[in-house]
Amino acid sequence: MTTAPAEVAARAAENRPAPRRRIPVPHKAAIAVFIAPFGILFVLFYLIPILQAVWQSMLVIERDGTFGEATEVFGGLAQYVLVFQNAPFWASVARVLTFGIVQVPVMLGLALLFALLLDSPLVKGKKFFRLAFFVPYAVPGVIAAIMWGFMFSPNLSPFTALTKSVDFLGADLVLWSIANVVTWVFVGYNMLIIYSSLLSIPTEIYEAARLDGASQWRIAWAIKIPLVRPAILLTAVFSIIGTLQLLAEPQVFASFSSAVISTYTPNMTIYATASVPNSSLAAAFSVVLALATFALSFTFLKITQRKGADE
Amino acid sequence: MQHKKKAIAALALVGTLALAGCSTASGDGGTSAAGDCTPSDGKVDLTFTSWIPGIEDAVQLWNDENPDIQVAVQTGPNGNSGTYQNFFNQLKAGNAPDLGQIEYDALPNFRVQDGLVDLAACADVVAAEDDFVPWTWGQVTLGTEKEIYGVPQDSGPMALFYRSDLFEANGIAVPTTWDEYKKAAKQVRAAGGYITNFSQTDINQFAGFVWQADGQWFQNDGDEWTVDLTGDASKTVADYWQDLIDEDLVSTYPAWTDEWNNAYNSGEVWSWNSAVWGANSIASGAPDTAGNWSVALAPQWNAGEAKAGNWGGSSTAVFKGTEHLYEATKFALWLNTSDEALTALNTSANIYPATTAGLDLPSLQEGVEFYGGQKIYDVFKEAATQVNPDFVWGPTMTQTYADVADGFKAAASGQGTLFEALENGQTTTIDALKAQSIPVKE
Repeated sequence: MTTAPAEVAARAAENRPAPRRRIPVPHKAAIAVFIAPFGILFVLFYLIPILQAVWQSMLVIERDGTFGEATEVFGGLAQYVLVFQNAPFWASVARVLTFGIVQVPVMLGLALLFALLLDSPLVKGKKFFRLAFFVPYAVPGVIAAIMWGFMFSPNLSPFTALTKSVDFLGADLVLWSIANVVTWVFVGYNMLIIYSSLLSIPTEIYEAARLDGASQWRIAWAIKIPLVRPAILLTAVFSIIGTLQLLAEPQVFASFSSAVISTYTPNMTIYATASVPNSSLAAAFSVVLALATFALSFTFLKITQRKGADE
Repeated sequence: MQHKKKAIAALALVGTLALAGCSTASGDGGTSAAGDCTPSDGKVDLTFTSWIPGIEDAVQLWNDENPDIQVAVQTGPNGNSGTYQNFFNQLKAGNAPDLGQIEYDALPNFRVQDGLVDLAACADVVAAEDDFVPWTWGQVTLGTEKEIYGVPQDSGPMALFYRSDLFEANGIAVPTTWDEYKKAAKQVRAAGGYITNFSQTDINQFAGFVWQADGQWFQNDGDEWTVDLTGDASKTVADYWQDLIDEDLVSTYPAWTDEWNNAYNSGEVWSWNSAVWGANSIASGAPDTAGNWSVALAPQWNAGEAKAGNWGGSSTAVFKGTEHLYEATKFALWLNTSDEALTALNTSANIYPATTAGLDLPSLQEGVEFYGGQKIYDVFKEAATQVNPDFVWGPTMTQTYADVADGFKAAASGQGTLFEALENGQTTTIDALKAQSIPVKE
């Protein structure tokens, strides 16, 4: 997610002549004051917790006797061995990957479609639809999950005719029921990112296209989509991260679906482990998940950037 | 220069704020040593977390009478649904409340995490032993001679709640053995209902069934733990319920959901093997069925036996980090032994006292309207005496419950069996004990 702005900055830098000499920075103290709130909060609530999690993941517990006092001692990578032996954790990783492969393209496809429709001169009532598509994002994920859970419920749903015959909360479908909730919540959000990118395309390009006789369909396909590619990539990376960190929706579903177990997603596994409480193993899970998320996002960006360069 | 001075001042301010934030989070925890049970000077403020419906009213009674010891009560979800996680986090952060509600099955877990103050330093608590039903006292001493890790609050002897109107209308006799219960289940199914709902997540209910069958999941001989989720009693109980599930004689709605309430409220499900506090759950979850329920002693494994299981029951424990042990125990004793508090808790939440005197409270002698005026507490009083006093809980019950529940959920969806879930729970529990470096026999 950090690469996208960097990329923009890099492009901007190419177009400008390089500054010839360094201008001395005035008001260093003032700058420090303005940066300090960010810096302090960043260190306190970002760097220190991460370091603490890494440190915690290196600890193991020792005690004497059945109720002996526990002491945490350095245990090297012992917790990480347990992480890699933990079958439910890796099953949960596989589950969210399956989820992501299907849900992310569907969600981003819808977001792109809605953004293009909003940007098209043919559609009326843009303000209304822009807000209407975005409203689900304003609903907290937990509330959305409870609401959809009610709609999927076999006997209490307003659509019992359907839910009585199709078990949306059963083992076969519940993953996609959750995907439905996540899609519902996040389509509008991603649409807005893509839409704002569409708005920044210079109108001269459209004028030129129209002079060349391009239809709206052709403009969308050949001009708009290629130009909003960076925005789509950005939303894709956000979505990949979001998928791996899925927690609230499946956690809510666990209370009313027999198919959602306590280790359904990686984050639920971490939560369940922390509840034992086994902080060290939970920390090790978290570190591994963070690294996996980073690796996946990075790989995705590398692949898509190489493709972009080939074109 | 002006800039610089202001900058330094601002930095200092932000710094102190940040430090203040840190110190409140990690300060005053742990330092106040337990074992010192003397009154504090001046007014004392205590914090208390519980999930009993209506607990605020009981605490208000105390606050009105004790201006010098004011208790602020906070309510949350029931233990394993979130409050225990909060407690563990608060203990780690050093800002746990002074007092908390902890079920007997979770006390060993908090003990292992070194979160509880031993109340044996308080003479009043030691002297109160004789006031309590002996087995509840056994649950808070955790099998030790002298240590006391909570004041017993209530117990959860189990019995059979059933729809007497439907049983009668269909000519089905109230089952007294589990064999009869299964026969009745077939009759109920033929009449279009389910005799009960098998809860996949209430593993403590299942433990109550095993308890009734003289099973024992854990043993602690002082040197090491023995884990035995797969003994004969567990197998009998698991196979029994597996049969009912396989033959579609019980429903498998996830418990404590709207669907579940609806199944009872609409008359689809006809009975519930639950604890005394369940009287409140039915009344609030199935209001349309008021007056149609009755309570009978639990079905037995062998005809003629008189055994009851237990589901739930809590203690009021004092957390490490409290600075007012004396006042905290004073409140805990009042909450769990005084007539006024026990009456308030019984009226608001059908809490069944753990004191022997409490069992004779006037409110427990009356008929209950929701149960057609039946004196339901007479049944539970009898059941309470039939509970095996020596059931031991393991030190990682949150984990054991979660893992077995995962397996039960799968079994209810047709993957694997209940007994396989117990076998898996056996393995993961031993792993969890080893991860905590708790000696365990394999």
